[in-house]
Amino acid sequence: MDSVLTQIQVVYALILRETRTRFGQNRLGYLWAILEPVFFVTTFALVYRILGRAAPARMPIVPFLTTGFMPYLLFRESSGRGMHAIEANRGLLFYPQVRPLDLIVARSTLEVATNILAFGLIVAVYSTYTGSLDISDPLQVLVGLGLAAGIGSSLGLTLCAASVFSSSIERLHGPLIRPLFWFSGLMYPTAQLPSGYRKLLAYNPIVHCVELTRTGYFRGYRADHVGPIYPLVWIAALLFLGLALERAARRRLVLS
Amino acid sequence: MITLTQVSKAYRTTRGMHVVLSNLSAEFASGRNIGIIGRNGAGKSTLMRLISGAEWPDSGTVVRRARVSWPVGFSGGFSGSLTGAENARFVARIYGMPTDRVLAFVIEFSELGEYFDMPVKTYSSGMRARLAFALSMAIDFDVYLVDEITAVGDAHFQRKCRSAFEDRRDRATLIIVSHDLTTIRSYCDSCAVLRQGQLQFCDSIDEAQRLYES
Repeated sequence: MDSVLTQIQVVYALILRETRTRFGQNRLGYLWAILEPVFFVTTFALVYRILGRAAPARMPIVPFLTTGFMPYLLFRESSGRGMHAIEANRGLLFYPQVRPLDLIVARSTLEVATNILAFGLIVAVYSTYTGSLDISDPLQVLVGLGLAAGIGSSLGLTLCAASVFSSSIERLHGPLIRPLFWFSGLMYPTAQLPSGYRKLLAYNPIVHCVELTRTGYFRGYRADHVGPIYPLVWIAALLFLGLALERAARRRLVLS
Repeated sequence: MITLTQVSKAYRTTRGMHVVLSNLSAEFASGRNIGIIGRNGAGKSTLMRLISGAEWPDSGTVVRRARVSWPVGFSGGFSGSLTGAENARFVARIYGMPTDRVLAFVIEFSELGEYFDMPVKTYSSGMRARLAFALSMAIDFDVYLVDEITAVGDAHFQRKCRSAFEDRRDRATLIIVSHDLTTIRSYCDSCAVLRQGQLQFCDSIDEAQRLYES
């Protein structure tokens, strides 16, 4: 129990430290981090508007893109930043209290919190602007976002621990993640796809996260081919692999 | 209080494995300040990191039955882009100490003045060592691992370090590594020589000197 408390203490200290090293002296630094996904969504919404395209099934374009992009961004950012956790903070392992796992947990937590805040900000600003807030099942939205964060964080853990053994692992991240931008149903409901493609895309766990988020957000949005079990299996498998690698990595790490 | 059993450690280099410690067993008792002497590259810093728990041995075990500090020295542990105060706050937090108390102590002890609120990368190596030393003294450890640090700083700071250690002599033990016997002679009760991956304990510091210089 004592060691759990110590680890919580360490992770908390690391998060505070990370906000400082990452966002800088300036308090506005953190605001920029939150605004980044906001700009991302706004840019795409503008492109839709300019091209005169509408979201499918007359869904409002901003919530449609937000419910697609945010799970994807949660996944991409938490895995990408988690992956570099050890590399960027190797010096801190000098303190015996700090374990590699703490570095990864702290980074992922901060990343997830930032992106969830960004999601909240977009929804808040948008609903203030339109004068109505209509989320069908907020809990379900959080499940979708949470699963995406879970897959991203556990993938980050696995890649980070694996990169202790071979630094070329880090190069895999980009080619692995980027195509998923197009194949995760961010800009189209996967239920409308021909069944062959739909079945193929359902192997991608991010599709499930996106669709679960959307079924939670929009009343009457149907996506019967997805569920939380499949992403949960991914999380369990990645966690198992990542934690095993992290244990092995502890002996391998050279501090100086 | 600290027991090393059959500890081995090797590092991968471009020219194969480099064995630093091989089957080293040792016991450090509380209340006896001990100096470890060895040439550059003998594995002194590696031994310190293993004792502290920052690194794990390839085989063998290290058992600590006391609150052991990190290896206090010039390098490691500070982020250059953060100020001395921010670094101190971080260390206080990971050891579960009230940050205000730690900061107040470090300001007073390190005598860094306005540098305390400047990035650590602007510090001289002596100032870094002063920060590291003050910080470790702000936290109550049973065992202080000191890596070549006491030889730095001016005479005034050295006096201060000495009296700080004398103050807590009855509750804290020192393990110092150095390649210079003068430091060890002035702080330690006994001495061991680290060479060829092994630690040889000596009855007196003079004996250690003979062994070291042979």
